[in-house]
Amino acid sequence: MGDGRGGGSNRPAWLQQYELVGKIGEGTYGLVFLARLKPTHPQAAGRRGSPIAIKKFKQSKEGDGVSPTAIREIMLLREINHENVVKLVNVHINHADMSLYLAFDYAEHDLYEVIRHHREKLNLSINQYTVKSLLWQLLNGLNYLHSNWIIHRDLKPSNILVMGEGEEHGIIKIADFGLARIYQAPLKPLSDNGVVVTIWYRAPELLLGAKHYTSAVDMWAVGCIFAELLTLKPLFQGVEAKATPNPFQLDQLDKIFKVLGHPTVEKWPTLANLPCWQNDQQHIQGHKYENTGLHTIVHLPQKGPAFDLLSRMLEYDPRKRITAAQALEHEYFRMDPLPGRNALVPSQPGEKIVTYPVRPVDTSTDFEGTTSLQPTQPPSGNGPPGGQPVPRQIPRQMQQPMGGMQRMPPGANMGAFGAAPQAGMVGMNPGNIPMQRGAGGQSHPHQLRRKADQGMGMQNPGYPQQKRRF
Amino acid sequence: MSDFQTSTHRERWIFQPQDLVNKWTTANRRSAEILAQYGTTRLKVDPVDGSISNPEPLPDHGTLVGSSSVKPLSCEEEQVMRIFYEQKIQEVCRAFKFPHKIQATAIIYFKRFYLQWSVMEHHPKHIMLTCVYASCKVEENHVSAEELGKGIQQDHQIILNNEMIVLKSLDFDLIVYAPYRSIEGFIDDMDDFCRAGNGAHQRLKDLHQTANSEVDTMMLTDAPLLYTPGQLALAALYKSNSALSVLDFERYLESVFSRQHFDCPVEQFIQIISSINHLVSQLQLPGTKEMRHADRKLKHCLDPSSSSHDDHKKKEKKSKHKSKRTASDAQLNS
Repeated sequence: MGDGRGGGSNRPAWLQQYELVGKIGEGTYGLVFLARLKPTHPQAAGRRGSPIAIKKFKQSKEGDGVSPTAIREIMLLREINHENVVKLVNVHINHADMSLYLAFDYAEHDLYEVIRHHREKLNLSINQYTVKSLLWQLLNGLNYLHSNWIIHRDLKPSNILVMGEGEEHGIIKIADFGLARIYQAPLKPLSDNGVVVTIWYRAPELLLGAKHYTSAVDMWAVGCIFAELLTLKPLFQGVEAKATPNPFQLDQLDKIFKVLGHPTVEKWPTLANLPCWQNDQQHIQGHKYENTGLHTIVHLPQKGPAFDLLSRMLEYDPRKRITAAQALEHEYFRMDPLPGRNALVPSQPGEKIVTYPVRPVDTSTDFEGTTSLQPTQPPSGNGPPGGQPVPRQIPRQMQQPMGGMQRMPPGANMGAFGAAPQAGMVGMNPGNIPMQRGAGGQSHPHQLRRKADQGMGMQNPGYPQQKRRF
Repeated sequence: MSDFQTSTHRERWIFQPQDLVNKWTTANRRSAEILAQYGTTRLKVDPVDGSISNPEPLPDHGTLVGSSSVKPLSCEEEQVMRIFYEQKIQEVCRAFKFPHKIQATAIIYFKRFYLQWSVMEHHPKHIMLTCVYASCKVEENHVSAEELGKGIQQDHQIILNNEMIVLKSLDFDLIVYAPYRSIEGFIDDMDDFCRAGNGAHQRLKDLHQTANSEVDTMMLTDAPLLYTPGQLALAALYKSNSALSVLDFERYLESVFSRQHFDCPVEQFIQIISSINHLVSQLQLPGTKEMRHADRKLKHCLDPSSSSHDDHKKKEKKSKHKSKRTASDAQLNS
């Protein structure tokens, strides 16, 4: 995979095959860029101008080489190939700072944005066909992973990409395998990897400190995502107890128990063996929860197949929880509307087609992630269209090279490709790369909105806190 | 990953014997040519883009063309060195009490690496350590480079410096299938096949252990680059069973073939098993003298000045020589 041997310039040969469009995401372990294969490059044959998402991994902890996150992601994605799993196209090495760049097929949307668009812009629920198709494809990809003994461990709306217009329009791609691992014959207990899964989507067995867990943790997350697709709100929005290595998360458990009722040893026999259940008699065992009823929250008839499927995904006992393979066979998917390949375009005529916004791109950055220090353009040019309550100045950390990233607010959302878009279509573009977005007349109504999510609570208090990683 | 059938291991890293010979010869020739041309085989790495280029000609090399006293390693000598350092991988892994799987993964990385490079281009000691380090990361048994370096009194920076070149040379195909797990599967299956009572249980356990150590030896041969882990496992079990006579192996093989789809008939499979075991019986572990000779030659190839008392160069390489002594010489002298 070529970062060719030639060339002694400052731009390695592999980099020259891409035209950088801009930065689309930023996370604890790196940056994500949008780029296009240059039409002149031989590899671009047949995929002329195809958009590529390039995820740059920083070195891991000081002095321990390539980050294990990058290793996991690469090793798994090199082996797997499925329509509903993101495709790793290439791996490049930047020898100057020993960082890795992973090139993926680009996906324009993700479930975080789709849900958000419906909640905040359209104020309209997602249509039945789209929900069902998204869910089916998610399960289809997950079934493939699980049958290959891979647990994703970090499923959440922002890690589930949806392809934009083109041949694969409306197809789901499960992304971000930085926490994924093979669970066949592990050399060490899985819990040694530390806490996994963003707290809202974390299965109760994890919250109660299970040492060994299975692919059922992914199915719990799917259940939470299913509910979120239906209601446009996260199902269990617990507040994370931070700065503790203890997996026990009282508030999150409290949120779950309030909806699903108190778990009992009768329904979940191995519950009694879970460390946190044993240790925390007072808080969780002592408290009696009224079962407020999942059906009232998701507004589904209790006897309908949709509710049946959802409640099987949210089964307390991981051994009784429905598997991806079983879920695909569920009655819900056999009745109208049937799930389809393009989840975003309903098959029935007359249905209103929703146009989802494209990903915002920060064009003020280069492939290193360093922001140009040239004077910024007035916001009128590339700034957000009026009427949005979003901050206009460049976030402070964007004005600094690389290092500034670590100062991101801890609650920051890492979106698609493992890192969320980070604000700001302002500033010059150092590589003189033509602006691909904004100028083309395509509307993109929400460029700066992620910033509002990043702990500022401007648009939607209570929605941040997407992710914690230890 | 349960599916070896669709793996990069099966698709890209199982070869025909002639492929291996070609690859080794190509790397060896390339390195010998570089040596003849530049007087050293140590490659120059561009600090900016990491591209690798031929070494700078030594200042006095011009006068030496054709009469260079430094001789390249032969393919056979390269093989001696590789086997020696593969044994080292096993030693290091034992010292750290790593699971078998890590050792196997590291050795397979090492083998794959030297399909593309000559030992004259990248010192096998450095690559060996980096392979162990990478294997630990991949198998979720993370050990820091520092810890690993400390444990065997090596500069951990060497491990880190080589990590990228190793990953890249592996083409980032990092999941490998070792025969140990296949053996486990077959032992379980044999348990059913024999409808084993208590006595047989113990004998199957012995068979398991013997087969595992058989695989340890097998890992030092070319077999892991030529055969699938399932084939290697059955070859090891076959050989161990001939010594222990736990079950009727051919009948067992037939039962396996009757239940599962295989690419070839039983007869051909038995042929494969005997080819693998032939490779094992042909394995020659490098002797002290042989190894010392090859090691000295390698030292001169990488650093010709070491033979001409060039103090300046010596100083530069000092730490490397020192560490080399602790690793190979200590072993050789023991």
